[in-house]
Amino acid sequence: MNTTTTAPTVAPRRRRRLELNASLVVGVALTIGFLVIAIVSFFWLPSNPNIPNIKNRMLPPGTVDHWLGTDGLGRDIIAQLMVGARTSILVGAGGATISLILGTIAGLVAAAYGKIADETISRGADIMLSIPGMVTALVLAATMGSGALTTIFALTAFFTPSFTRVIRSAAMSVLQEDFITSAKLYGRGKLFILARHVIPNIAGVMIVQFTLYFAAGILTEAGLSYLGVGVTRPSISWGMMLNEAQQTVGISSPLAMWPGLAIVIVVLGLNLLGDGLRDVLDPKLKRRS
Amino acid sequence: MTTSAKPHAIEVNNLVVSNGDVTAVRGVSFTIPQGGRMGLVGESGSGKSMTALALMGLLPMGWNTHGNILHDGVDLVTQSDKALSSRRGRTLSMVFQDPLSSLNPVRRVGDQISSVIRRHTGADRKVAEAQTIELIKQMNLPRPEQLVRAYPHEISGGQRQRIMIAMALACYPQLIIADEPTTALDVTVQKQVLRLLNGAVRDRGSALLMITHDLPIIAAMCDTVAVMYAGRIVEIGPVQEVFRNPRHHYTRGLLDSQPTMDNIALDGSSRLVSIPGMVPPLHSLPTGCAFNPRCPAATDKCRETMPELGSNGVSAACWHPIQTAGEVAAQ
Amino acid sequence: MAIYALRKLAFFLGAVFVASLAIFILIRAAGGNVAAIVLGKDATAEAINALAHAYGLDQPLPVQYFNWITNMLQGDLGQSFRTKESVADLVTARLSVSVPLALSGLLLGLIIAIPVGTYAARNVGKPSGAVLALISQIGIAVPVFWAGILLSVLFGVKLGWLPTGGWVDWRESPIGAIRSLVLPVLSLGLIMAAVLIRYVRSAVLDVMNQDYVRTARAVGMTRTQALLSVGLRNAALPIVTIVGLQIAELIGGTVIIEMVFSLPGLSRMILANVAAREVIVVQSTVMLIIIFVIFVNFVVDLLYGVLDPRVRNAA
Repeated sequence: MNTTTTAPTVAPRRRRRLELNASLVVGVALTIGFLVIAIVSFFWLPSNPNIPNIKNRMLPPGTVDHWLGTDGLGRDIIAQLMVGARTSILVGAGGATISLILGTIAGLVAAAYGKIADETISRGADIMLSIPGMVTALVLAATMGSGALTTIFALTAFFTPSFTRVIRSAAMSVLQEDFITSAKLYGRGKLFILARHVIPNIAGVMIVQFTLYFAAGILTEAGLSYLGVGVTRPSISWGMMLNEAQQTVGISSPLAMWPGLAIVIVVLGLNLLGDGLRDVLDPKLKRRS
Repeated sequence: MTTSAKPHAIEVNNLVVSNGDVTAVRGVSFTIPQGGRMGLVGESGSGKSMTALALMGLLPMGWNTHGNILHDGVDLVTQSDKALSSRRGRTLSMVFQDPLSSLNPVRRVGDQISSVIRRHTGADRKVAEAQTIELIKQMNLPRPEQLVRAYPHEISGGQRQRIMIAMALACYPQLIIADEPTTALDVTVQKQVLRLLNGAVRDRGSALLMITHDLPIIAAMCDTVAVMYAGRIVEIGPVQEVFRNPRHHYTRGLLDSQPTMDNIALDGSSRLVSIPGMVPPLHSLPTGCAFNPRCPAATDKCRETMPELGSNGVSAACWHPIQTAGEVAAQ
Repeated sequence: MAIYALRKLAFFLGAVFVASLAIFILIRAAGGNVAAIVLGKDATAEAINALAHAYGLDQPLPVQYFNWITNMLQGDLGQSFRTKESVADLVTARLSVSVPLALSGLLLGLIIAIPVGTYAARNVGKPSGAVLALISQIGIAVPVFWAGILLSVLFGVKLGWLPTGGWVDWRESPIGAIRSLVLPVLSLGLIMAAVLIRYVRSAVLDVMNQDYVRTARAVGMTRTQALLSVGLRNAALPIVTIVGLQIAELIGGTVIIEMVFSLPGLSRMILANVAAREVIVVQSTVMLIIIFVIFVNFVVDLLYGVLDPRVRNAA
């Protein structure tokens, strides 16, 4: 290829970089806001989100002391949303972190330890991917009972195979680079090469994937809690709030709007952050997705 | 070039190709008569491929063409994509660099050729298929009946490029543009493919625009040559003349950097010269002559004013053209 | 192609086997004593043993697994502990809700995503393309059940055009059944579309810049013709793959949407049985769903082989 064919990308690339900055900036802003709210919830809440207060029930948004109103049992919406943010992080990030660790180990083994290991792990991941995550979660809820831990467990079962595949292909492309060959020629062992060369080179991919699965974890957790097989009181989840709103006061109430909006904003923020990071950390990856 | 009563295969006047930010082709003019053969040489980034794509109306999104491209009685610059598409593959066609990526991977090669014939001639399936077999035979390809049923990934690189050439020649075009048609091929088949292209173009009486950085190919296949640098033609003329007596210092540099038996000394003391410096990026071209930072003969004039072709009575865009031995003697 | 299909069939059977083993181990290992779970905390040891014996739960696990599989192969999916209903009967009644819902949702998603994604790819860098990319990005962030809630507030409560939930059986009134499916399908389809638009867009974008699309234009096609006939044909390969991967998502979405609109589908049955700790019902129903997903992926693989000669030959 000569530069006459690369020249046309000059202008679009400049435009794309602006776009990516926008998604990164918005993503970072939304995500930081989300994290701050979750942290604040440990130190300060407008009122106890779990104690019913019948005389305050169904207050409309805009009420003093209850800016977004209260639910059918008189519990403050803002307080519940704040604790819900905490749950989203615990479950979403928890599931994503464990899957990232397991997926990285499996992916690296598949990439570096020969054809048999690769076939076994890759086929296994393919099979696990064909089990719907929601179904895994239901089975676990049936046997372990519902709760935050079960949900994290389900997310892990669901996300680990995807992580494994991504890490495997990223590690494989690093292992084909010339500097790996020269490291081998110097007699470096596999573990040394993986730790010193492969992991630093796929760190970008790992961070991006973590962000995207964090978001997917929040969505899945909300879905499970909405179904009543996710987290349970005294923990509070946005999905649970939507379920309660629908059960007690009907869907047209503003109560059914706030948790949904919270989920959309947070998931959008994390996805934008992931996409923005991908453009910064791994320009090659952008073309594939 | 001689003026003939017959219209030219193509006449390009002051072609400019830009995308708003950068200008890849900055005022290029040339003509190729019916059946004529022109070579277009230059380094990467000189604008030669963009020139070819502009002639075909195949520029990437966002790129615009200005100037005139007269071909078959119309100015291609003013034509819509639809109008151009009825000419592409019929009166004007192109062979690309990489035949593997240029052929549709999910379609049999025979279908790819015969659909071109059907599209432009309205022939029915049977006739088009028979013509396809005939074309493949002309391309010296073995067992044409089996080959038409093959997918691109099932045949060799040389065979693929012959299929591409067959597609380009299927409708007897007035002009064929070949953009580095052999650089993606094994050295051993390059010559065969070029010989085939040469013969097939000649048989059809088509004109040829050969784009390459390989000067011996130009010398063997073309009658005129245009040398491009930074989006402009810096020297143009009959091949023999330009190669024997280059007028532009860039042309001289290109010729000197070709490895030949003469300049590769067997004792290892290579006399192969390279042009110092690099092609300037299109968005920050120097003022005056774009070649001046790399030119051994550059003066203040070269840094201030851009020379035009013929500025000094020679067909090179240079303020200080290289003199021939005869001219030196005459002074 | 035959070798390729056989290889894929072998993988399909292997996957079903491994998945069944996984489900069985998950439920038995994570769940402990099934009979005790079913009967609850207050059950006496004799009652538990009696139930375990009646259902063969006191046999060694490999024997239980073998019995479960052989019975499944004969169409016997076991029965509920409490109601004694056969799981197969329970399931068939629910499929007339779940299957039309899931398939129409997927179909709607594709019908929206293919043209919109192609349009977005053609207008990349332009405002219209950017707006579509943003809408798709937001759509991905919307939980499917919230989309259901919003649509049912708008069309059910505010406009009163369609029911906000509930089900009319096909035999009773086909139109009623369709009316109760419109909003669920719309919710599922729109969210599927948001995800698919992204993939279609990048698949088309990728294909659009391929040399063979340029060649198609170089031999006489207009930009649009080349994109539609050569481009989309090649973009079909990654799109088919994504649809296969999205089947698992589709099932998850269907589970939730049935809940939002109170549809008596498969997932509400599973949920009710999860709550009642009907382990055998859950185990068999879940296995059926997994077989379905693996089967769809098998079909997708075959389709891929049909669409792409390179894949076919590589096998």
